[in-house]
Amino acid sequence: MPDGTTGTGIGAAVKRVEDFRFLTGKGNYTDDINRPGQSYAYILRSPHAHAKITSIDSSAAKAAAGVLAVFTGEDMQVGSLPCGWQIHSKDGSPMLEPEHPPLAKGKVRYVGDQVAVVIADTYSQAKDAAESIVVNYEVLPAAVSMSDALTDKSLVHDDIGSNLCFDWEIGDEAAVDEAMSKAAHITKIDLVNNRLVPNAMEPRAAVGEFDAATGEYTLYTTSQNPHVIRLLMGAFVLSIPEHKLRVVAPDVGGGFGSKIYHYAEEAIVTWAAPKIGRPIKWVADRSEAFISDAHGRDQINHAELALDANGKFLALKVQTQANMGAYLSTFAPCVPTYLSATLLAGTYTTPAIHANVKAIFTNTVPVDAYRGAGRPESTYLIERIVDQAARETGIDKVEIRRRNFIPADAFPYQTPVALQYDSGDYEATLSSATKIADVAGFAARKAEAASRGKLRGMGYSTYLEACGIAPSAVVGSLGARAGLYESAEVRVHPTGSVTVFTGTHSHGQGHETTFAQLVSDRLGLPMENIEISHGDTNKVQFGMGTYGSRSLAVGGEALIRAVDKIIDKAKKIAAHVLEASADDIEFKDGNFTVAGTDRSMAFGEVALTAYVPHNFPHDELEPGLDEKAFYDPANFTYPGGCHICEVEIDPETGVTEVIKFTAVDDVGRVINPMIVEGQVHGGVAQGIGQALLEYAAYDDSGQLVTGSFMDYTMPRADNFPKFDVTTEGTLCTHNTLGVKGVGEVGAIGSPPAVINAVIDALWDRGVRDMSMPATPEKVWSALQAAE
Amino acid sequence: MTDIQYVAPSTLDEAVGAYAAAKGAARILAGGTDLLVQMRAGMVKPGLIVDIKKVAELSAIEKTPEGGFRIGAAVSGAVLEEHPTFGKVWPGVLEGLNLIGSTQVQGRASAGGNLCNGSPAADSIPGLVAAGAIATVQGPNGRRNIPVEQVPTGPGKTSLAPGEILVSFTLPPRPAHSSDAYLRMIPRTEMDIAVVGCAVSLTMDGDTCTAARVSLGAVAPTVLLVEDAAKALVLTKLDDASLDKAAAACSAACNPIDDKRGTIAYRTKVAGVLLKRTTAIAAERAKGG
Repeated sequence: MPDGTTGTGIGAAVKRVEDFRFLTGKGNYTDDINRPGQSYAYILRSPHAHAKITSIDSSAAKAAAGVLAVFTGEDMQVGSLPCGWQIHSKDGSPMLEPEHPPLAKGKVRYVGDQVAVVIADTYSQAKDAAESIVVNYEVLPAAVSMSDALTDKSLVHDDIGSNLCFDWEIGDEAAVDEAMSKAAHITKIDLVNNRLVPNAMEPRAAVGEFDAATGEYTLYTTSQNPHVIRLLMGAFVLSIPEHKLRVVAPDVGGGFGSKIYHYAEEAIVTWAAPKIGRPIKWVADRSEAFISDAHGRDQINHAELALDANGKFLALKVQTQANMGAYLSTFAPCVPTYLSATLLAGTYTTPAIHANVKAIFTNTVPVDAYRGAGRPESTYLIERIVDQAARETGIDKVEIRRRNFIPADAFPYQTPVALQYDSGDYEATLSSATKIADVAGFAARKAEAASRGKLRGMGYSTYLEACGIAPSAVVGSLGARAGLYESAEVRVHPTGSVTVFTGTHSHGQGHETTFAQLVSDRLGLPMENIEISHGDTNKVQFGMGTYGSRSLAVGGEALIRAVDKIIDKAKKIAAHVLEASADDIEFKDGNFTVAGTDRSMAFGEVALTAYVPHNFPHDELEPGLDEKAFYDPANFTYPGGCHICEVEIDPETGVTEVIKFTAVDDVGRVINPMIVEGQVHGGVAQGIGQALLEYAAYDDSGQLVTGSFMDYTMPRADNFPKFDVTTEGTLCTHNTLGVKGVGEVGAIGSPPAVINAVIDALWDRGVRDMSMPATPEKVWSALQAAE
Repeated sequence: MTDIQYVAPSTLDEAVGAYAAAKGAARILAGGTDLLVQMRAGMVKPGLIVDIKKVAELSAIEKTPEGGFRIGAAVSGAVLEEHPTFGKVWPGVLEGLNLIGSTQVQGRASAGGNLCNGSPAADSIPGLVAAGAIATVQGPNGRRNIPVEQVPTGPGKTSLAPGEILVSFTLPPRPAHSSDAYLRMIPRTEMDIAVVGCAVSLTMDGDTCTAARVSLGAVAPTVLLVEDAAKALVLTKLDDASLDKAAAACSAACNPIDDKRGTIAYRTKVAGVLLKRTTAIAAERAKGG
C-alpha cells in the first residue's frame, strides 16, 4: 500500500541507511570484536548420535602448546539451558522437560552435542589440542526418525522415561467427528514438512569477558534478542545478576529464528572467562553451524477435510508429529502448537477444527522456530489439502477457495482454534494476484510449453498468518514463560537531534531506516538527525528482541507511543514559553504553534529549552525531553494474501523451473515499500528453497548427511525468476500504525504455491502427490512410477 | 600442526626431483582449490607441497606443430577462457572446465588438478576425453604420453606412477565443421557436483556425422569413453533412431552409485537424455563452424 509519499515519512522508499556500512565491510559483527588479551575456544562435539561417555582424558590437550584450559561437563556445574514455553498435554500433565547441560554430562544425544571446550591462545591451537582429547564412547542405538523414537526402544533421555515430550490437542474433537459423519466428501492427505538448516550468512559467534575490578560480565553474541539471552543465561544457567551482566548483539548477519535461542556456547565463554582471566572468543565454522544451530520445521502431518455437497468445508482434523530433536530449544514447544495449530482455519470459515500434536525427542539437532515458525507448516497443510479437495470434488481450485473464504465483512472473525482475526480481505488479494499472474493466459502458455515437451503447472496459496508476537496475557495463558511486549525510549538531545533506543533487534530487517522514518514522519525531523540504537543491554531498556514479524507491529508501536509522549511534553514546554495553554498548542511540520496565531517554536528550540530550563515552573514541568514507552499488543496481527506460482517441468530430467511467482500480500500499512518488497522477496526465496531444494537428511545412524553446502542445496539467484511482489489490503485495527508485519509472509505463503504448481504440472501424467523438496530425481521418479 | 615444506621450482626436473624424493609425503599444488580445502579439513597432511605454477611449460598454452593445442596442466580456467582461439575450437572443453566453481575459483582451478584429483564427477574431464586429449606426464623415469581416459583409475586414484607429475594436455588438430559440447545434470546450476556429465565431440559433413567421441562423467568409478555411443552416431544424420541408440549405449555404459544426489535409475536415464541434448548442441556448433 505505498502511497507514493516522497521524502522520508511513512510510505517513502527510503534507501536503507545501514547498507553503506554492510556493503563496504564496515559493519561490526561479533567476529569483528576483539578484546585485549582475547583467547579462543574450540568446542569438541560428539561424533555419535547417541552414546554414553565412559571417560574423557584431556591431559594431553591441557599440556598442548598455547592451551589455557580444557573443560568438560563434569567441570561446568551450572544450570540447564532453559525452555521458554511450557506446553501441557491433553491429560493436563506438563511436557517432559529434560535437563540440557551446556557441556554434555555422561551422555551425548546428537551428532554435534558439546562434549568439551578447549581454550587456547589461538583458534588453531585450541582446535589441534581438541584432537588429542581421548573420549571413550559406548555407542547406543539412536532414535533418529520420529517413528523409531515413538517406540521408546531407545530413550534419548533415560531419566524422563519417554521420547514423547507432550501429546497436546486444540479444538473440539466431538464437533469435528460429528461434522465428518455428515460430510459429502472427506479428503485425506499425508504430508512431510522437511527439516531445514537455517544457514544465516553469518555463523554464530560469542565473546565472553569478565572484569575482575567491577565483577561485570560481558557477552558479545550473534543474537536476535540480547535482553532475553541476559535473562535466560543470567537467571537460569550461570546465576549472574542482570546488573552485572551485559549482553551485546552488535551487527548480526541474518537470524531467521536460529539466533533467538540461548545456546550453550554463549554460556560456556561467559562462564569460562573469569576462570582463565581472559576474554574468550568462539566462532562457528559453517560445518559446525550445520550441526549446532537449531534446525527448522520437521513435521509429519495427517489431515482430513470434510466438505458438504457444495464444497463448503465442514471440519478439519489434523494429527501432527513434531520433531523436537535431542533437547528442548528455547521456544521449540510453541512452534507446532500455538504458532501452528491455531492457524488451521487459514483464510477459511471451517467451523470445526481439531488438532493433535505429538512432540517427539530424537537423536538429532534440536528443532525450533525458523522463518515463519509453525505457520508455514499449517499453511502448507491447509493449502495442499484444499487443492487436493478441489481435484477430488471437481470444483475449480480457485472457486473452492472463494466459496470458503472468510468474507471481508465478517471481521473481527473468531476461529474455532483460539485466534480472532481483526482484518483481512482474501478475495481482494486473490483477485489482484490472478490478474498480475495472468491466469487467463495460462492455458496458452501451457500449450506452448507442451509443444516444447515441457509440463507447465500453476499453483495457488491463499494464506494467512498470525504475527506481531504477541499479547502477553494471551501467550502467558498458553504457556509462554515471558511477556511479549516491546519497549522504546526516545531521547531528544539539547540541540534537537534524537536517539531512539528500541528493544527490538535488527539483523538484516532495516530497522535503522524504518524506525527513523517513523520518527521523521511524526516529529518532522530529517532522517540524519535520528539515530536508532539497539542490541546492547547496557544502553537499551529491557526489550524482547526480534522474531515473529514483531518489530514494527509491537516495537514500532511502542516507539510511536514514546514519540507521542515527547510531543505531549514538548507542547507543555512550548505552552510555557509561549504563555499559552498546552491544549492550544498545535504541532505540525516540526513547529509548535499557538492555535490561530503566528506564535511558534521550532522543535529544536523546544529541545534546547527543555535542557536549559531557566524559568521553568519546576513543580509543574520537569526539565529534559526523554520519554519511554512499553507497549503490549491487544492481539496478534494477521497478514495474509495470495501467492501464485507457475512452473515448467522437464519430464526427461525432472528439473522444475519456477517461471513466474506472484505475491500479493496484505501486510497492513507499509512504512518503507522497498524494505517490504525485500522482505517478501527473501521470504519467497526461502519458501521456494524449502519447496524445491533444501532438505536436512539424516542417515539411520543419526549422521547429518547434508552437512555442508556441497550437499545441502541452498537456493541461489539463478533458481528464481524475478518475483512480482505487490502489497495491498487492510489495516491492522488494534495498533495505531495499522501495520501487520512482513518478515515471514514470503516463507509462509510460498511453499504450497510451488508444490501445488508442481502437482498441477504433473497431474495429466498421472502423478497425484509430491513431497518437499521436489528435486529433479523425485519428480522424475514420480513420473516413471505414474507411467 | 606438523611443519609443511613448500617449494616452487622453476623447472620441471626440479619439481619431479623434489616430488619423487618425498616418496609419497608430497602433494602437487596447482590452483589449490582441492588441496587447500582438503588440508584445512584435515583430510591430507602433506610434508611437502610442490607448487608447479612457476614451471613455464605447465602454465603455457601453445599451438602444436600439427595444429592442435597443448595446455599446461596448471593453466586455470579463467586463463584458458581468455585465449583468443581455444574456445572457438573447443567450446565444450572450455565450458566443462568453467562450470567448476565460482569466478574466483575459476581463476585458480586447472584441468590438470581436476584430473589428478580423480573425482568421477570432475566436470572438465569428459570434454577432454571426448576431445581425444593426450596427457603428458613426467617422472623420475622420463616422460610418457597416455590418453586422458586412462589417467583416472577410480575415485581419488590415478595411473600416475610415484613421482610422476602431469605436465600438459595435447588436443589434436580439428577438421573443418567440428565442434564439441558439455552438459551436466546437477541438483542446481553451479558449484555443485554433477549427477551426470556428458561431453560429445563431433565432425559433420553437411548433415552427416563423420566422426564422434562421447564421454560420460559421474556415472561410474571413472570418467568413461563410450565408444558404442560414438559408433551409433557416426555416419548417421543424427536422426532420432541413431540418437536413441546412442542414448541407450550411454545408459548401458553407466555403472553409477545410489547416493543422496541421485539414484542409479535416475542417473542411467539422464545419461541418455543428456547425450541427445549434448549431441544437438555440438552438431549445431559444428555445422556453424
